[in-house]
Amino acid sequence: MNHTDDTRKTSGWLRMITYLLRHRAIGLFLFIGLLTTVVSWINPAFLSGQNLRDIAVQAAPICIISCGVMLVLVAGEIDISVGSMMGVLAASMGIMVSASRAQLPPHVAIALTLLIGIGMGLFNGLLVAYVGVPSIIVTLGMLTALRGLTEIIMNGAWITDLPDEIRFLGTGTILSIPLSLWTTACVLAVTIWLIHRTPIGRRIYATGSNPQAAQLAGLSIKSIKLFVFAWTGLLTAVATLVSVPQLSVVDSGIGIGTELLVVTCVVVGGTSVNGGVGTLSGVLCGVALMTMISTVLIFLKLGEHATYWSRAIQGLFILGAILADHWISNHKK
Amino acid sequence: MKAIFLRILSLPETFLSCLIITLFALISQLDPSFLQWEVQRSLSSHIWELAIIAIPMTLIILTAGIDLSVGSIMSLSAITAGMLFQAGSSMPLACGAALLTGTIGGFLNGFFIARMRVHPLIITLATMATYRGIAEGISQAKPVSGFPAGFTRLGQDEWLNLPFAAWLFLIMFVSVFWVIHRRALGLHVYAIGNNDTASRFSGIHVDRILIGLYTFSGFASALAALLFVARRNTAKADIGMGIELGVITAVVIGGVSIFGGRGTLVGTCLGLLLIHETREFVSWHWNRDEFILIVLGLLLIVSVVFQKLLRHKQNSS
Amino acid sequence: MKKSNPRKMHHRFVVLSLLAGITFIFTACSPTPPSDASSTQLVSKDNNKKKITICLIPKKKGLPYFTSCAEGAEEAAMELGNVELIYDGPTDGSPEKQASMIEQYTLKGVDVIAVSPNDPNVVAPALRKARARGIHVLSWDADAIQDSRDFFVNQATAEAIAHGMVDTMVKDLGGPKTKADVAIVTAYLTAANQNVWIEHMKTHIDQQYPHLNLVAIKPSDEDQKLAFKVTQDLMKAYPDIKGFFGISSVSFPGAAEAVKQAGKTGQVMVTGLATPNSMRSYVEGGTVKSVVLWNTAELGYLTIKVGEALATGKLKQGDTSFDAGKLGKKKIAGDQVLLGDILVFTKDNIHQYDF
Repeated sequence: MNHTDDTRKTSGWLRMITYLLRHRAIGLFLFIGLLTTVVSWINPAFLSGQNLRDIAVQAAPICIISCGVMLVLVAGEIDISVGSMMGVLAASMGIMVSASRAQLPPHVAIALTLLIGIGMGLFNGLLVAYVGVPSIIVTLGMLTALRGLTEIIMNGAWITDLPDEIRFLGTGTILSIPLSLWTTACVLAVTIWLIHRTPIGRRIYATGSNPQAAQLAGLSIKSIKLFVFAWTGLLTAVATLVSVPQLSVVDSGIGIGTELLVVTCVVVGGTSVNGGVGTLSGVLCGVALMTMISTVLIFLKLGEHATYWSRAIQGLFILGAILADHWISNHKK
Repeated sequence: MKAIFLRILSLPETFLSCLIITLFALISQLDPSFLQWEVQRSLSSHIWELAIIAIPMTLIILTAGIDLSVGSIMSLSAITAGMLFQAGSSMPLACGAALLTGTIGGFLNGFFIARMRVHPLIITLATMATYRGIAEGISQAKPVSGFPAGFTRLGQDEWLNLPFAAWLFLIMFVSVFWVIHRRALGLHVYAIGNNDTASRFSGIHVDRILIGLYTFSGFASALAALLFVARRNTAKADIGMGIELGVITAVVIGGVSIFGGRGTLVGTCLGLLLIHETREFVSWHWNRDEFILIVLGLLLIVSVVFQKLLRHKQNSS
Repeated sequence: MKKSNPRKMHHRFVVLSLLAGITFIFTACSPTPPSDASSTQLVSKDNNKKKITICLIPKKKGLPYFTSCAEGAEEAAMELGNVELIYDGPTDGSPEKQASMIEQYTLKGVDVIAVSPNDPNVVAPALRKARARGIHVLSWDADAIQDSRDFFVNQATAEAIAHGMVDTMVKDLGGPKTKADVAIVTAYLTAANQNVWIEHMKTHIDQQYPHLNLVAIKPSDEDQKLAFKVTQDLMKAYPDIKGFFGISSVSFPGAAEAVKQAGKTGQVMVTGLATPNSMRSYVEGGTVKSVVLWNTAELGYLTIKVGEALATGKLKQGDTSFDAGKLGKKKIAGDQVLLGDILVFTKDNIHQYDF
């Protein structure tokens, strides 16, 4: 963190900007606020409780995975296999619980799904940390291979009979708040605890910002890297358990493109791909922005022609967020 | 002497050649008909576009960069050509405009990377969405078809028994090979990949080279797009979707280090040959499309693990 | 050996290895005479007793819709006895990959290629090449460009499908007099088939149902989650929406789930194309009144029958009817073999179907 002294900067304006610079998430937060104001001014339905709740539920799985991928990036690595991991996890979970297939009791299936997630994460982590293969290659290979595996597991037939206990994970509510939001809150709490209250958190940041120094300081870089990948695998399994039961059909295309969405969220949230830098608040703002955009475009009622431009508009939003972020941080110096 | 031997053994090219030979041996056992020249020549048409993009991608990865937007640039260039043709412009003009569009797209990537110092992974991730989005918007997601025969012949004609696209690739390969190995620029590319900051201090025009490479990548993607449009007689916004992963896989299997500074164009060619033959043969022999994904994914991981282990061995001996 | 010039040596080696590689390929390729390739050069076409190889290429492998077609095809192949069936297609639904597969099968020298084109324009050059090689080309499920195939095994024209969906929707909403906003949730914006249907749906709505107002067409990118989300958002942004068309097998269940979870079962209608199994719970629960489709197994069965007849010369251009085994006589209109009418699955008949 670059603590430039801002005592000489007298004007309050400048002080505000410096503050924003130091807490990048706030800039993004303000941008989200502006966007929300504009949209709800045009279409007040956007601010309805139901809509905000729907957005939160839609964001939940992305948010959960982002907590893992952010730590991977902070540790100086990258994980682009999460989309295909979701595919494999959804397919295997579906087969385990389906009444016409394995018929395992739901709690066993949930435990096994989590274990499979951790297992895939460990596999990534072992290859990266102990064999020394660059993480982008390992996870790119896994992205391709696991997608093929999903197709083989599903074998051309979808699972259409998820039992109610599993559906509850995605559609149920406790105290009239959806279960998926409770799960997300737990994951966030654990991640905050991990980052701020345990030595692991500090070690992850140390590993990413200066691996040599971390090694010299006696940290086991290998086990830290193994940990972040396994953690991401676990969270991907949690996200699968949260998101797949929202739907009644498990198809073989679940998770396609999730890896790009998650990496975009994490990066837009100010996490550096060079490691060592990243805040959970930034990532949360990134997730919120990315989930909002497509909803916003629908609420603006731009007409049929605009439908075909929506991908371009989303892309420009991402581009704008990234360039603004870099422009600001370049001017900081 | 032993040292040289070990060194040769540890080269990624050696390992890849062995892999390719093993593959061909396996094929000749399982299904010799796949190896007929006629079959090979026809199937080769599936790889040339990927191969053309792989040349600039190799250089970019050598500088420790990456370009994820190549597939989207393909789609934007193809749509540019298609829309102009539909609007009644002549085909050479449409092609020229497509090449220009691709080049500009690549230049913008390079500009953001070199001047604004944004990480290439991030910026090309963003332009990947944007460029394809623009292509979708301009074309309203509709296809353009019915190109004149003079143009589609580019995608089908052969010259001296090789497809036109193959000659394009060969010309590009030879000229880039010459530049990389006989000009200072080649050394500079490797230097940037090894140490960006040191290269800047030693007077290398890092920014200019980076912008040049990404622009070249955009140009090559546009060229690939035109070849694709000519071959399939259709321009549409979904062209080139996912090709970036195929290109990166080929380059990395070819022994180019993703961290830059190490790797060769020849390695990339061997990598291309390996994934092309694997992909086509798996589909030819087993008729199971899903196997291709598994085989390619594992091939990528296994080959990089082996290259890593071999290099490790060489360094320790 | 001095360590000073490893780069040069490396360099030389690299060129050598390239040369070696190329030489190897040429030597590996040349000694195989074409006649030696009997393992895949499967049949000589004038001999009826030999096996006939038919390739059945779906738009996207892994969709239950196509899997159930393949089951019907398998049945026909067993029944005929002289047919070897290859069922393969792109798992990602890419038109380019489909064209590549057609080129491979052409080189292998199969007898019949039956393809459900993802994009008729993209596969047309490959199909023409196959025909030039004497391979019989069929399109099934969706039509190819006319001059690139011999026959089209037609379960329903694009027009009939589109009209079927719109008519069903109007009926579910309570007749042509009902004023209602409707929206379409499609696959990809670039999906060729869906776009043709959408065009026909638009003209049909314009001409027949002035009270129906199409307010939005949104892509689901073949992602159920996105279809769910888009439907949710549309319902809130356009509170007057009374009906959704889910026109792909992924977007239909996604849209239905969104309507169900919003508690709008009965107020907002959902209809579209999907296999009965994936929609069963919604039809029984009342969220979906009718699902439009056809008998997929019969489609696969008929395709193989036609393919075999074409390869053995039993079926020729100009025939007006075709004996399709257990399906009875099927009408041929021009170069289209007609399967029959589309099916509409409702609460009353859905239990009869399992695919």
